[in-house]
Parts: sequence; C-alpha cells; structure tokens
Amino acid sequence: MLSNYLPVLIFLIVGGGIGAVMIIAGFVLAPHKPDSEKTSPYECGFEAFEDSRMKFDVRYYLVAILFILFDLEIAFLFPWAVVLDKIGYFGFWAMVIFLGILVVGFIYEWKKGALEWE
Amino acid sequence: MFDFITETALFKEYEVYIMTTIYVLVIMIPLFVAVAYTTWLERKVIGAMQVRIGPRNVGFRGLLQPWADMFKLIFKEIILPSGANKVLFVIAPVITLASAVAAWAVIPFDAEKVLSKVNAGLLYVLAVTSVGVYGVIIAGWASNSKYALLGAMRSAAQIVAYEIAMGFALVGVLMAAGSMNLGEIVLAQKGTNGLLDWYWLPLLPLFLVYFISGVAETNRAPFDVAEGESEIVAGFHVEYSGMTFAVFFLAEYANMILISALASIMFLGGWLSPFEGVHNFLWLGIDMHALTAWVPGMAWFFAKIFIFIFLYLWFRATFPRYRYDQIMRLGWKVFIPITIVWILVVGFMVLGEVSPWWGATA
Amino acid sequence: MTGVQFLFYAFAAMMVFCALMVITVRNPVRSALFLVLTFVSCSAIWLLMEAEFLAITLVLVYVGAVMVLFLFVVMMLDININRLKEGFVKYLPVGIGVAGLFGGMLTWLLYNVEAADLKTKMRTMYPPSAKPADYSNTEELGEVLYTVYVYPFEIAAVILLVAIVAAIALTFRRRTTTKYQNPDQQVSVKRDDRLRVVKMDSEEKK
Repeated sequence: MLSNYLPVLIFLIVGGGIGAVMIIAGFVLAPHKPDSEKTSPYECGFEAFEDSRMKFDVRYYLVAILFILFDLEIAFLFPWAVVLDKIGYFGFWAMVIFLGILVVGFIYEWKKGALEWE
Repeated sequence: MFDFITETALFKEYEVYIMTTIYVLVIMIPLFVAVAYTTWLERKVIGAMQVRIGPRNVGFRGLLQPWADMFKLIFKEIILPSGANKVLFVIAPVITLASAVAAWAVIPFDAEKVLSKVNAGLLYVLAVTSVGVYGVIIAGWASNSKYALLGAMRSAAQIVAYEIAMGFALVGVLMAAGSMNLGEIVLAQKGTNGLLDWYWLPLLPLFLVYFISGVAETNRAPFDVAEGESEIVAGFHVEYSGMTFAVFFLAEYANMILISALASIMFLGGWLSPFEGVHNFLWLGIDMHALTAWVPGMAWFFAKIFIFIFLYLWFRATFPRYRYDQIMRLGWKVFIPITIVWILVVGFMVLGEVSPWWGATA
Repeated sequence: MTGVQFLFYAFAAMMVFCALMVITVRNPVRSALFLVLTFVSCSAIWLLMEAEFLAITLVLVYVGAVMVLFLFVVMMLDININRLKEGFVKYLPVGIGVAGLFGGMLTWLLYNVEAADLKTKMRTMYPPSAKPADYSNTEELGEVLYTVYVYPFEIAAVILLVAIVAAIALTFRRRTTTKYQNPDQQVSVKRDDRLRVVKMDSEEKK
C-alpha cells in the first residue's frame, strides 16, 4: 500500500519545487528597486489608515464551526458509502438515523437564521 | 538510447525514485502547457462571445501569447509590500500550487495509465484540495493589506461552504461505485449503453451540484467575489506581482483543469468511449462501438475535460457576479439539502439494485 | 536504513520541531501555521503505519477544517502580543507546576505500574505488516463501524448535534443594523400591496 504513496510524495515535492523555482527565477531575473510608495499596501491611492489586520465579523467563525461539523459528517459518510452493499439495510438505516439527527441540527441552524448572510 | 545512464549502479539503486520523478514530470509539464493554453483559449472564447477577436499578434492567431505573458511576468519586479510577513508572503503561492497539482497524482488517464492507484483516491483528492485554502488565507494575511485580508476571509468562507456540498456529492458517487479508487469508479460506469451508463444520469443532481461547487471552489466567475477586480481589486492576491502572481495564476487554472478532470472521471466515465458497448446505434444497426474502437481512451478523457473547461469560460462570459449573501445561500441552503436527499435516493437505488445502473451487471 | 525508516525519522523530526515551534513562536498566526505542519507530519506518520483512512481524514478534518477555524480566530481576535507577554512571569510557576506534575505522573506510570509488562510491550512494538496494494483500510473500518459499533456511531451524531446547537447559541447574534432585501418578497409583490385606489367624490374648487 505504501508504494502507492511514493508518487504522491514525489508529486508534492516536485509541485512545490517548481513553484519555488519559478519564484526564485522571478527574484533573480527581475529588477528589484523598491521605494516607499511602491511597497506601501494598496488602498485606492490613499495612505493606509491603520494596521490592516482588523477585527472580523464573528459570522466567519460560525461558518467555520459549522463547516467542521459537516466535514466530520462527510468523514463518517465516506467509509459507509464504500461498504454500503456489504453492510446492507442495517448499515443503511444506521446512517439514516445518523443523518436524521444531524438534519435536525441543520434545520435548527436554518430556522435560527445562522445560515443567513446579511 | 539511455543505456549509459540506466546501466550505472547509482541509477539502479534509486531506479524507483528516478522513474517516478520522470513520470511526475511527464504529467506535470503537459499540465502546465495546458494551463498556458487555457488562458489563450479563455481570451479567444470570451472574445468571440463578446464579438471581439482576442489575442492575435503574437504568433499564428496569438498562439504564442501565453509564452509572451510568461516571459513578461518573469522579468517583472516582485514587490514585497512594507509591513508584509515576507516569508509567508512568498510561501503562500507555493502552497497553493503544490496543493493544486498534487491531486493529479491519482488521476487515471487510461485503464493502465495512472501514476498512483491509491485506494482512498477520492478522499485524498478532497483532502488535498481542502489544503489549498491555506494559500489564500496566508496570502491575504501576510500581505498586510485590507483588500487582501478581506478577499482572503471571503474566499475562505466561500471555499469551506462549497466544500461540504462537494463532499456530499462525492459520497453519492462513492455509493454508486462502491470504491474510492478513481480507476474503479470509471470502470464501474462501464456498461452496454455507452454514455447512458455513466453516472451523470442517475446522479444528475449531484453532477450539477459538484460542478457548480467546483466553479465556486476555484473562485471563478460567477462566484469570484473573493477576487472580483471591480469590487475588491483582485482580493487576496492584490499585493502580488511578477512571478509570485504567476504562480497563483497557474494554480488557479490547474485547479480548474483538475475539477474538470474529476467531473469527467466521476460523472462522464473518464476514459470510456461514449459508444462503449453500443453495437446497434439508435436501432439503426450501426455498430458505433466497433467504428470508434480506434480512438484511444485518453482522447475521450481529454475531450471531456475540454467540455468542462469550455463551460467554465462560457459561465464567465455569460453570468453576472453573484452577491456574497447569495453565494452563501446557494451553498448552504440549496446544495446541501439537495445532496442529502439524493444520497438517500442513491442509497435506495443501490440497495434495491435498480436497473439499468446497478444490479443488472452485478 | 530503508526508505520507510528514513521517511519515518524525517517526519517524526519535523513533527517534534513544529510542535516546539507552536509553543515558542510569538506570533499566534505563525504558531497556528506550525500546528498545521505538525498535523501534516503526523498524518504522514500514520500513513507509514498503514492507517490510510485515518491519515487522510486527519488532513481533511484537522488541517482542512479545524485549523481554518483556528486561523479565523487568531486573525479575528487581533491579539496584542505585548499585553499577552505581561502575564507570562505571573503564570510561570503554575505552568511549571502543571508540567512537573504531568511529567512525574508519566514517569511513575512508566516505571511503577506493571513495569515489566509495559516495558516489554514498548520494546516489542513492531512496525505494522506491509499490506498489499489493493488492501483497503477504509473498507475494513466501514464494515465494523456501522454494524458492530453502531451505538457509539449514533452517539457521535448526538455529540455533533450538541456542537451545532452550542456553536449557534454561543456565537450567533442577529444583527439589527443591517438592511437586507428579500428578493423572494420583492418578486412576489402584488399590486394591492403597493397601490391603493381611493374612491372619492370630485371636489369643487372653492
């Protein structure tokens, strides 16, 4: 099984390597004449008002949490989908109950308005 | 021809590694060429749709335009913004590119032409593409620019929302095929009815959800709020120039081709011919299976990828940009319910062995 | 040293290094990014132990989802690093105490509880047997997870449900200041909702 993953590892290394080589080539071949105007962050031609790392809406946080929960659900669905024909109706109904419980959560989310992006 | 190399002791000791690296390059270099010509195609196709000509001066019909662009970008200055986190700023595009190409390791081009027959292929693809979001987040944060950070947050929230719909759609395919190995998923679509056996028909809602989510995942129009030039001036890569920008660009197009390839494999039968097993075409007695037998599987595969690439460009030329709340509503409130319902439907179809897709051949 | 061993030591070293960086680096965003690298190297080690499904799921769930949340949080909090450092000396004794207690417990466990038994077990920990190329870790997991372990599996669903409700209860605040259009209502508007025809007698100009 491990032999299958050797190409994957090499692929990752070569992919990252090509990206790195391209950027290094850019640094080597291109001119490099920075000045304070050029390197100032873009803000429609104005001077930057403040540090750009600002506070964000808590809504992003909620989206990320809901994403984790649904991602876990997908992680549970994958092995189930692969062996569905082996585990038969018992396994199928086990997953229906699992999904049913989570659909309750999904409906709660929906009714609460947590999926609204205003 | 290369005996003087292959006979050396050093080569023999590391043969596996050297040969794998060569195979990797055999996949990756044509991929990059394909990316270059996708940009050319994009400008030509959208030009034609908008009654313009598109690039035409560099080379015959502008065919050398991508190379001209590439050389121009190499010689452009890479600007490191003041206040940027320099190391992360440079690493971000590399992460994006590595995750965009890594999934190609498990893509089967033909029955035997596959680099790595990973059993958990589909799970691997989903995991690797989910890492791509880091390039966006890191780029946005390291730039120390308001637009970049805003674009990064938008893009990340959008990518994660659509990844769920995408994951659910993949589960449907898995249930139908009973395997996570991409090669076996293609073979499971082989039947006697040609293209009617492919999964696009029984899994039609999942097919649509998958491809639209794919468009949203790659931040392409009409879901390009994260990098809409007219709204937040290129979003997370606003501060990138020269080769660092080129690497982001390369990764975006490589991702487009990847989504197209995956859609072809999972829903349009990968390398299978659309006339597979069709010996009596339209009851006219024409043996299409025999007539098209000479076409290599890879040609069908590339033709299918081309269809999806063309759809990408067509979308871009046709649809106005979605508003952000509409994007989130589509991802969470439309796609997720559709996929959950269809997963249950597919479950009943698989267990009930509904012909002609399941049960008839088994 | 075989290739697998080399990879194991390489990823193990990377994991330890990144884990150290997580707690020593000052910038919280960098610290979170090192945690991502720690998970990635951990996943590689699990893969070397032939736990294919778990390894990829680790990347999918922890790297692809949990750490995205972490990054959102550290980016959102706008942490003032200097303020954080002020409390460092004050909490140092407590930290050292907890670390000492934990270390002591581990040592005690290793040397006193069934010492001989545990030590031999740790010494005889062999690498897992290499599996054939068509071995599917996921299938074996799936065959027992939804049949033998169906009860814990359903409990997992309930825990996820609790997490959904808790996340919404803790973070969701309905905004009252935003103006929001509902296209549904806009499109389905009737004439009578907007227009009122009033019957009245014509008036004479006085």
